[in-house]
Amino acid sequence: MVLDEVLRRRLVILSGKGGVGKSTVGLALAVAARERGKRVLLVEMDTALEAARVLGRGPSGATETQVMPGVFTVNLDPRGVMDEYVRRMVPVDMLARRVLESPLYKRFFAAAPGLPELMLLGKVMTLEEAHDRWSRKPRYDLVIVDAPATGHGLSLLRVPLAASKAVPVGPVGHSARRIQAMLRDEARTTLLLVAIPEEMAVTEAVEFHTTAAREVGIHTSAVVLNACHERRLTEEQEAEVLRLAAAGADGTLARGVRLGAALAAGRRHVRRRKLTRFYQGRLRKALPLPLVCLPYLFHEEMDVDSIRTLAARLEAS
Amino acid sequence: MRDRRPGDALAEALSTRRILVVCGSGGVGKTTTAAALALQAALLGRRTLVCTIDPSRRLATSLGLSQLSTRPRRLDIARFRPAEGGGAWAMTLDTRSTFDALIARHAPDEASRQRILGNTFYQQVSSALAGSHEYMAMEKLLELSADERFDLVILDTPPTRHALDFLEAPERMLSFLDTSILRYFLKPYFVAGRLTLKVVTRTGAMAMKLVDRYLGLQFLQDLSEFFLAFEGMYDGFKERAARVHELLRSPASGFVLVASPARPALDEALFFYRRLREKRMPFVSFVVNRLHPDPGTLGARAPGRASPTQVEPELARRLLEIYKDQRTLARFERRSVASLEVDTREPLILVPELEVDVHDLRGLAEVGGSMLPRKAPA
Repeated sequence: MVLDEVLRRRLVILSGKGGVGKSTVGLALAVAARERGKRVLLVEMDTALEAARVLGRGPSGATETQVMPGVFTVNLDPRGVMDEYVRRMVPVDMLARRVLESPLYKRFFAAAPGLPELMLLGKVMTLEEAHDRWSRKPRYDLVIVDAPATGHGLSLLRVPLAASKAVPVGPVGHSARRIQAMLRDEARTTLLLVAIPEEMAVTEAVEFHTTAAREVGIHTSAVVLNACHERRLTEEQEAEVLRLAAAGADGTLARGVRLGAALAAGRRHVRRRKLTRFYQGRLRKALPLPLVCLPYLFHEEMDVDSIRTLAARLEAS
Repeated sequence: MRDRRPGDALAEALSTRRILVVCGSGGVGKTTTAAALALQAALLGRRTLVCTIDPSRRLATSLGLSQLSTRPRRLDIARFRPAEGGGAWAMTLDTRSTFDALIARHAPDEASRQRILGNTFYQQVSSALAGSHEYMAMEKLLELSADERFDLVILDTPPTRHALDFLEAPERMLSFLDTSILRYFLKPYFVAGRLTLKVVTRTGAMAMKLVDRYLGLQFLQDLSEFFLAFEGMYDGFKERAARVHELLRSPASGFVLVASPARPALDEALFFYRRLREKRMPFVSFVVNRLHPDPGTLGARAPGRASPTQVEPELARRLLEIYKDQRTLARFERRSVASLEVDTREPLILVPELEVDVHDLRGLAEVGGSMLPRKAPA
């Protein structure tokens, strides 16, 4: 049900504190949408965990690449997008090269405030609006943006408004206003907040929601609480674990496994599970949004199976 | 050197250096580490200030404060019984007001100060300027390093996409503000502020045409006014940036690199470490946060009991699963972390994940304490 609400839009922007697993959630969302028959593009912005690698491919590049049937990824870096823009504006290759190599371009354009962000969002808009030349059908049914961590994510989303004020006229001002309109269009764009059951990640998600609504006017459809420690023991079993651990019980649980060690593990599990429930409650209370919980996976590294597990959980939410 | 313990370098830095910069990629517990170290230094008897640039008030949360201010606020740490003279302060950094202050410092007169502060371009972008958060953090560091009230300043670096952005921000910022090159291209505007384009060079003319066509003339005018106003201030900026650089390289400063046991964070820390070495910046220590404890080693320390306890089979089965999951994770993390140690031959401080969330001073004291070597038993 939550997934219906999210996937009603064509553009989903993920945001959350660094290290909460935005990329993983983005990939799981892409796979879940694909399961519903959508053609999906996952846009990464210079992320550490690359979707394509998780799926056993080489790193995603600046061009859209199919990483599994119906799922495409692209890794945008602002400089690359900007260079591409210049090449399009200056059709003569030699001249374009001269602009790209000129010190003015290198020094100024590369460091110009907000320009990289505006270029990235402009590219996202282009991709979202892209149509197949012959059938006129949209190239993608869904574009998922794995936005930079909270602080940067917010400055990314603030740029179009700031740019339309700083550059009131001309094509750039015009694009800035179009991007801003896209972000504010509730039927088209939505924000998906990602957090983990920890104080700061939860606090940031709540603050981000408020600021994004007030300053950008972007709609948020849900919060994903990633890496949840779910119940694995019944209430009675939990009580028994805590009692035995406190009593210092020991012995042999299985070959090579001491009971004392397993009880320590069990006690940690119980504490983490309770913390998870505590933060679920906090989020429910602080945000009037549907909450989706994804399980903590004890996998060494994320792979296709982990992503499928999470995608199935999103579908079931 | 061989018998030095992992926390020795850090303990020494906390007692002797003047500046510690805490770096790492997002989500690794940088802010918590900075705050925890400030508290430890205070307990060692130093007057310590932790400074963060934090849009989401993370540090306030972990210090148990409702809000941080841009002026140092003293923390109430009496209950931790700091050594004689020790104290802890915390503050947050506001990029815009730091930038405004920097302008005020360098502006030759009141009129030029007003001209910049009133410039549309400046107002829209002063806090969005690429790298301006990082640049202002360094600017503040320079100011604080001369503040007699503090023995030690710990800087929690901004959450950059790449931790390394922090080191390179001043250079990028300076090259943006370097008016000499822009003056060359923006000449017509600098001279008259007229909306005409003179061909200076063919490439320059083309680049300007692009700006003109895509950004509009008003923007160009604001921009040239901005740079015009900056003329004469650039050298002051540059001189200050050079002093920051010098300060960071001095032996009284040090870098603490923070990571989590996740691969991307460890890779980032390694990369940063190598860049520090290249730039001859003083490295202090790695801190790897939130290591999941290995239940296998926990159990080994538990005292054996004469009569082994039996648990019912269903609970035993589930407990075994939980145990195995936690072991797998812990072993994987230790392998990842060990590779950083092999690659750098530097000591790593491993901080186990606590069973409770760190979000108050007591938690910070506990985390910080676990980073430093235990005092030798009397």
